[in-house]
Amino acid sequence: MVKFRLNGEQVVSESPTDTLLLWVLREEMKLTGTKFGCGIAQCGACTVHLDGSPARACVTPVQAVANRSITTIEGLASPVGQALQQAWESEQVPQCGYCQSGQIMQAATLLEQNPQPSDADIVSYMNGHLCRCMAYPRIQRAIAVAADRAITEEPAQ
Amino acid sequence: MSKTKITVSRRQFVAGAAASSLVMGLGTVLGGCSADEAVSDLTVAKGSLSFSPVIWFEIDGSGLVTMNIVRAEMGQHVGTALAQVIADELGADWEQVRIQHVDTDSKWGYMVTGGSWSVHTSFTQLSQAGAAGRIVLADAGAKLMGVDPSSCHVEGGHVFAGSTSLSFAEIIQVGDIARRFSSEELAALPIKAPADRRIIGRDVSALDVPAKTDGSAQYGLDVTRPGMVYGIPLVPPTRYGSKAIGIDDSAARALDGYLGAIPIADPTETLQGWVVVAAETMPMAIKAASAVQVEWQGGDTANINESDLLAEGLRLAQDTSSGTTVVNDGDVDTALASAAKQLQAVYRTATALHFTLEPQNAVVEFDEAGQCHIYAGNQWQSLILPLLTQVLGLPETDIVIHQQYLGGGYGRRLFGDQMIPAVLAARELGRPLKLIFDREADSRFDCVRSPTVCTFAASFDQQGALSGIDHAAVAGWPTLSMAPGFMAPGVAGLGKFDPFSISGAEHWYSVPAHRIRAINNELAQKTFLPGWLRAVGSGWTGWGVESFMDEIAHELSEDPLALRLRLLDGAGKNAGGEGSTIGGAARLRSVLEDVAIRSNWGTELPAAEGMGVAVCHGQERGMPTWIACVAHVAITPESGDISVKKLWQTIDVGTVVNPSGAMAQAEGAALWGLSLALHEGAEFEQGQVKQRNLDTYTPLRMSDVPELDIVFIDSDVFPSGLGEPPLIPVAPAIGNAVFAATGKRVRDLPIRLS
Repeated sequence: MVKFRLNGEQVVSESPTDTLLLWVLREEMKLTGTKFGCGIAQCGACTVHLDGSPARACVTPVQAVANRSITTIEGLASPVGQALQQAWESEQVPQCGYCQSGQIMQAATLLEQNPQPSDADIVSYMNGHLCRCMAYPRIQRAIAVAADRAITEEPAQ
Repeated sequence: MSKTKITVSRRQFVAGAAASSLVMGLGTVLGGCSADEAVSDLTVAKGSLSFSPVIWFEIDGSGLVTMNIVRAEMGQHVGTALAQVIADELGADWEQVRIQHVDTDSKWGYMVTGGSWSVHTSFTQLSQAGAAGRIVLADAGAKLMGVDPSSCHVEGGHVFAGSTSLSFAEIIQVGDIARRFSSEELAALPIKAPADRRIIGRDVSALDVPAKTDGSAQYGLDVTRPGMVYGIPLVPPTRYGSKAIGIDDSAARALDGYLGAIPIADPTETLQGWVVVAAETMPMAIKAASAVQVEWQGGDTANINESDLLAEGLRLAQDTSSGTTVVNDGDVDTALASAAKQLQAVYRTATALHFTLEPQNAVVEFDEAGQCHIYAGNQWQSLILPLLTQVLGLPETDIVIHQQYLGGGYGRRLFGDQMIPAVLAARELGRPLKLIFDREADSRFDCVRSPTVCTFAASFDQQGALSGIDHAAVAGWPTLSMAPGFMAPGVAGLGKFDPFSISGAEHWYSVPAHRIRAINNELAQKTFLPGWLRAVGSGWTGWGVESFMDEIAHELSEDPLALRLRLLDGAGKNAGGEGSTIGGAARLRSVLEDVAIRSNWGTELPAAEGMGVAVCHGQERGMPTWIACVAHVAITPESGDISVKKLWQTIDVGTVVNPSGAMAQAEGAALWGLSLALHEGAEFEQGQVKQRNLDTYTPLRMSDVPELDIVFIDSDVFPSGLGEPPLIPVAPAIGNAVFAATGKRVRDLPIRLS
């Protein structure tokens, strides 16, 4: 039994403690926005926030998140998260869409720590995320657009 | 029968085509009776039991237009594009348009999504359906307003007559919308002139995008059914001939929730020697899958390596008695025999994986009536359903595939073979089952792009002019194994060939003599199940054709782009015809001229840099998408690393339905071409795919993306297709650029200089 905070709520996983967080989220908590891709932390489709930092749920045992805080795409409510989701729509980023939860979660942690990333910053921070449809140009552009919007809108907040 | 019940007590407007009529309107749809069933009833009443109605859209009493999308959504936003086609003719308000991806039902007709066909093959039919709807609404609206229908026009979900108007909702609530059209009437319906289009050609937002940004889009892997258990396949050492001769699950039995290791007895022998391990939960299924020990007896391809497959390919290409002649223009043998000079080359491509990011999966549930419900994303339901009837011994009406979003298709999900172990294991367990391939099994049993070999011989006459090209192309043939009914006859009426595996070879250059021989690599066919991978045959024949054309140019000391322009003279069969082929080779010449200007072709470049050009005509000569591509590469001499600095493409696809979606497809497909050229490539080792995950199979990443400069020709010609073609010219353009930069001719994909 493992207790942790999930998208702001306290939850308890009844799964064996060595169960990978990915399956706890998807099959036990029924939050399927976090995807199973490669299973070896090489594609990024399973990326969630662990205490605000990006983590690959496919290699993280649930016991490792005991008493910690997990955010998934379903719970992404931060201003940069919302700016990113808006930019993903305005730039029409997703193709098949399967990797996009992970892409957005990763990008959100980039903008939290680096609100005005250069193109090179974006590429280096996002390079661990495979988009099999190769929608990379729009992913990169949407992150830049979201950063611009977040900066522009900051004074109003 | 299974479908989304549209149980209504309000009036609905339903449009659909039946064998001899389009059922356009219903009166009040009875409560408890779905609109679909009401239409079926009408069709049955007409004695058309053998042909089911096809219903493309419905408008409810609130004015909401729901488009039923038969094609699979795998990233191309096909539902949005097809809905745009209907909505434009219908005069709908785009804000009122919704789409739903439908489950299998014979009423939808043939269900396949591939070949970049969807817009091309649906355009006329859907336009006519929309036009019929517009006419019915205009007539009913005119009647209500007391005006002549010819004085009305329809736009934005309203019927206008002078300064008054009625909304679709108002008309459907009270108007006279019962109307039938014969197929002749339908075909004669006036379709809008391109200048009058309002929604086609507009950058409307894709309707699937919002769900793909907040995690709510449901893929096959995300489906849950009550009481569902989990299965993981244990896959055999060879695709064919393997037997599971011993299963030891003693260690797994100790696991809480372990349900068993089920040998899969597939009567169709599509899958041989598979075992499915099942457990109450996914984590337990994973543990059980590693605890179960299976002893297999492998098939006779257990020792086959990539080099064996390529060697067999070369042997077959060089054996002039092998294969089927597909094109035989002029007299190649005489051209070669009388040649003053010949040029020969061998082009090869390595095995390539689809590697859909969503691993193969299926959720299966048998209902109380014994119907089998399958939840999965699939591109060719009409291919797998008949196979499943044999697997299960059930009639097709008792098997329903509930379509989900596809987490990548690229041709992999044209074959729904993952459903076979899922349905058999679910039936054995008597429980709903979610079957998930782990990544290694997904790669090992991917329907890979076959390793291929092309040989070319060009002849030059006494004056030095190009007089003929002889091309032999060898590969494993997907169509032969999976859909033999689609094999095509050769030119001499002797033998058959896989048209999808050769389609790029029949280029649009005028050459006095041209022969193409398509040859099946039987060793490949026995070793694995060859698959259709994005761009299919053109994806590898194009590599050889366009690289060899460069070799011919250099042999003639002619600029490669100038040679192409000269040979694209549009003479004879290259003049084109009607529909999307109109203009023929002249359109290919136009895109080539455009890309030459935009890329500043011929400009001086620094040392170790070069530009290469290549063209393609898309997937099929009968549905040409004209593309010219220039690649600019830089080579690091010490390491041999190839960096693509920029790719230009000029694309003439005819009418573009959604410019933003079209550009996304072009960018994605072009980057696929780059990825296959430089970053991907697998090999068979001991009868199996060796590279099974991203630690060894390495598709292109964001840091590898070059500058892209892609433009579409503004055109109102009948649309062809776009999902695949921009892939085709990228690899040869890069290879030709490598030659320009280094003087070294590369003939193998993936390209390696070191």
